Amino acid sequence: MSEKALSRFEQPISVPGRRLLHHIPLHFVVKKVVGGGHRASNHEIPLIPFIDFLLCIVLFLLASFSASGELPIDKNVQLPKAENVLDMTEAPMVAITGTQILVDGVPAGNTRAIEEANRLQRIDELFNILKNKRELWKQINPGKEFPGVAILQVDKKVPALVVKSVFQTAAFAGFPNISFMVGRLGGPGGEGGGH
Amino acid sequence: MAGIDTGGGHGKGRATNHEIPLIPFIDFLLCLVAFLLVTAVWSQMARINADARVPGPPKPDEEVEKQQKEKQLHVEMRGERKFQLVWKEGSTVVNTIDVERKPVKVGEETRYPDLAKKISEEWTANGSHRAGTDQKLDQAVLHTDNSTQFHDVIAVIDAIYTPQRDWNPPGGGAPKKIPSFNVTFAVN
Repeated sequence: MSEKALSRFEQPISVPGRRLLHHIPLHFVVKKVVGGGHRASNHEIPLIPFIDFLLCIVLFLLASFSASGELPIDKNVQLPKAENVLDMTEAPMVAITGTQILVDGVPAGNTRAIEEANRLQRIDELFNILKNKRELWKQINPGKEFPGVAILQVDKKVPALVVKSVFQTAAFAGFPNISFMVGRLGGPGGEGGGH
Repeated sequence: MAGIDTGGGHGKGRATNHEIPLIPFIDFLLCLVAFLLVTAVWSQMARINADARVPGPPKPDEEVEKQQKEKQLHVEMRGERKFQLVWKEGSTVVNTIDVERKPVKVGEETRYPDLAKKISEEWTANGSHRAGTDQKLDQAVLHTDNSTQFHDVIAVIDAIYTPQRDWNPPGGGAPKKIPSFNVTFAVN
């Protein structure tokens, strides 16, 4: 009784398996798929080496991933290029764009007074900001020696008088180790400019 | 496809054999690769060093050592037609060399290969700090005009950094090539 009842609901079509090779009566298809004496046209994609390859790429990209993103370069600043350069380092960024001076994007005075006076002078606003940065670093890292590194991002057309004034102001504020941000000019970009 | 086969799985309990879903895993990896490639930073920026030899905040607890006067190379770039290389010991001029100002354009940039060559020769002849164990560098002082544009200043600094020497890091490690000079600006 129960068998009869079951047979009413018996599924005439079974769930298809993964392979087409053995249960298909189309012999010419079977022959074709297994190769028919020639090279088999049925191929397995080698997934494991592919995954290994992808994992290697992921690891490389993760290792070179920078969460801080691109270096903040002002669009108005055209940097000069040099050959004997060093890799960039993390330090306060002093940018000179046109007549404005920025420290990490914050306005820190302008260059008009220097150009009008036509002599080397200290920029007070810049001096105060850099001095505060130095003191903050010392509070955060007690007992450690302050590296005194600052990076100047200067447009290639800025006169040397302004560069020297900013340079000297930074040195007076406790940043004597100044680097100029430049582009790499050709070649492998060997090491240079201090150690 | 990849799977975990324990050889059992005929009992009534939960199946112990598993297929690892590789396709979603590959999709995930591809997404990760795409994201990392899009957010990658391929920076061409670098830095060129300069050392400000001006007095910083005074340190009363440190005694200032009397230093022996060393030879310094003063690079004078105020002339329009020539550079002047002056070796000085303190205020005493030891030697003066004129180098013709021949700018060479590399793309948009100006280079001074003749100056770089002459500075290399001068360092080979007169440089004081050559040994790999010597932690000090020879000092070059750059004299510029107030109106000189910054790219010209960088071109000259780049030429000064051309001669390089071996340097053994103090804590050990592989010897490195470093520039023979340390550059600073003249205040006047």
